[in-house]
Amino acid sequence: MTANLTQQIRDRARDLLQSGTVSCFIAWEPARFEHWRTPVTIESPDEVDRIVVDEWCDQLIAKYALQRRGDGRIGMVARGCESRAVERLVADRQVSRQDVYLVGVGCTGMLDRDGGAPLKKCEECQRRNPVTYDEMVGETVEEPRPYRFGEVDRIESMEPEQRRAFFDRMFSQCAMCFACRNVCPACNCRSCFADAERVGWLEKDFGLDASRYWGLMRAFHTGDRCIECGECERACPMGLPLMTLMHKQVRDIDRLFGPYEGGGLSDAGPDPLRSYRTDDVEEFM
Amino acid sequence: MIIDKRDICALLDAIGRDEQVYVPGSVAGVTQFVEHEPGVEPLLDVRTTKVPPKELLFPKAERLYRWKTHEGHLSIEQADVASRPFTVFGMRPCDVASVERLDQVFLTKGYVDEFYQARRQAATLVALACERTDPTCFCDSMGGSPTRAPGADVVLRDRGDSYRAQAQTERGQRALDAWRAAAPDAVRDDEPGEAPDAGDDARVTCSLTVDMDGVAQAMPGLYESPMWDDIADTCVTCGTCTFVCPTCYCFDISQDTRAAEGSRYRCWDSCMFVTYTQMAGGHNPRADKAPRVRQRFMHKLSYFFDRYGENLCVGCGRCIADCPAGVDITRVIDRVGAEAAAMRGEVAVDG
Repeated sequence: MTANLTQQIRDRARDLLQSGTVSCFIAWEPARFEHWRTPVTIESPDEVDRIVVDEWCDQLIAKYALQRRGDGRIGMVARGCESRAVERLVADRQVSRQDVYLVGVGCTGMLDRDGGAPLKKCEECQRRNPVTYDEMVGETVEEPRPYRFGEVDRIESMEPEQRRAFFDRMFSQCAMCFACRNVCPACNCRSCFADAERVGWLEKDFGLDASRYWGLMRAFHTGDRCIECGECERACPMGLPLMTLMHKQVRDIDRLFGPYEGGGLSDAGPDPLRSYRTDDVEEFM
Repeated sequence: MIIDKRDICALLDAIGRDEQVYVPGSVAGVTQFVEHEPGVEPLLDVRTTKVPPKELLFPKAERLYRWKTHEGHLSIEQADVASRPFTVFGMRPCDVASVERLDQVFLTKGYVDEFYQARRQAATLVALACERTDPTCFCDSMGGSPTRAPGADVVLRDRGDSYRAQAQTERGQRALDAWRAAAPDAVRDDEPGEAPDAGDDARVTCSLTVDMDGVAQAMPGLYESPMWDDIADTCVTCGTCTFVCPTCYCFDISQDTRAAEGSRYRCWDSCMFVTYTQMAGGHNPRADKAPRVRQRFMHKLSYFFDRYGENLCVGCGRCIADCPAGVDITRVIDRVGAEAAAMRGEVAVDG
């Protein structure tokens, strides 16, 4: 990310707000500590100097567009992950493409605010450049397309009991806080089954059965829509390796129904797990 | 009493022969209080554990009673409220302060929660004073201190290669006597003439500070402030802040129903969740994010103060560190102060 990116984005946000092209502009602002960032929604051209765009912007901001629906066009900074999230929201009929105005930036990956190490989600990133945008600021960046299935390989090679123990241990630490769901752009249901009023859909006893059921249901429900942004894993306060399940599904879909690269890509075709063909693979039947 | 650090494990092994001992540990990379296992060194250098020790006194889920119907007859079996004695070893002063808040809720004002009371009476709290603080620590702005834990039965102070243990209650004195009897080789008496150490508020301080003066009083006047919409804009209303908070005590009562039998249990709930205020008829007074966000901060910084004379925030900083969206209670406090000053007509002056 270039040194003057913040200034360029501020200038664009000011112009877009002043001209009335957008009603608000979603980006980040500094938080209390050095290198800590927090999402911000700017409504006035006088406030654009709050914006900062650099290698410490760890949150995915695209989903904040949902709470601005109906207020006019929504501007936002769009890295690869934001652009894929917007594609996801458009495909899920949550927003229409013309409801958002994307100021695209090429992204070289974010760093951990507390140590400066590259974020895991960025090290696994397949699209650093936006896949859709209304304008670009700065140059596009190289796409290294790193191998992201290392952990899936490791878990697949386990004996069934070992694998079971791995996932039981993982879900036993789930806090049932639903941060994974709330930051996920593919989790855009108006009402989640976990919030169902009728008692019994999801036990509230914080037991392993409940957290495992929650984790697996969420993984399946987002399976062919996951944009691999890794926000669930970043947001999880307990550090659950949630992307293992998502990466596993992406690769399985590729192998069974492929070619498939992941959700939120314009060229991905129909969502594989929600379209039906008589010649679909049924190797599990 | 002095305990050499190399003997801590032996001491815990000895205490653990008579009762359960919980110590800072790590499970799947998550620091939390775990039952001490013989020979396993506790993580006493961790300052605030990721998960607070709250659930040792107030479990995430707790059975209240079981019921069963048989040939038209209903029988109810009450859950056992008795708790065996246990020790929580190595609680930081903020976490000890959080227990004092929970005591207010569950034991005072004419309401005694028998489940909480049973655990509380069975617990010996051994604090470990802080020699350093994390950037997100601000206990000394919230009426606490890194070096003092007045609610603890025993307080440990780091002396480099050893800890000095001092009893602060009768229970604490009995604990030290029991430690001496159970592990005579792991503990020794204080140096002759060594004065009691009451902690020193000036020696260890938090770099993060907030001004709480007038905050509790100002907040009701800010009920309609647009600041809650701003904060709600950023907040994703997950339950992280409430579940890592050592003082959040809200619970729901749910049930596990299996045909002719089942149980009722109470379980942690979160005011961040839309279901928290969902009513049977469909109305939800806090269906939107902003009222939920406001409720949490009002409760932490104003409502609890009105009722108990203390803040419900002890300044441990867990919610700041773990919020996926970067919402920061200390920035909320700053903002309350600024809004209140603006309402009083004061002009903020820089420098």
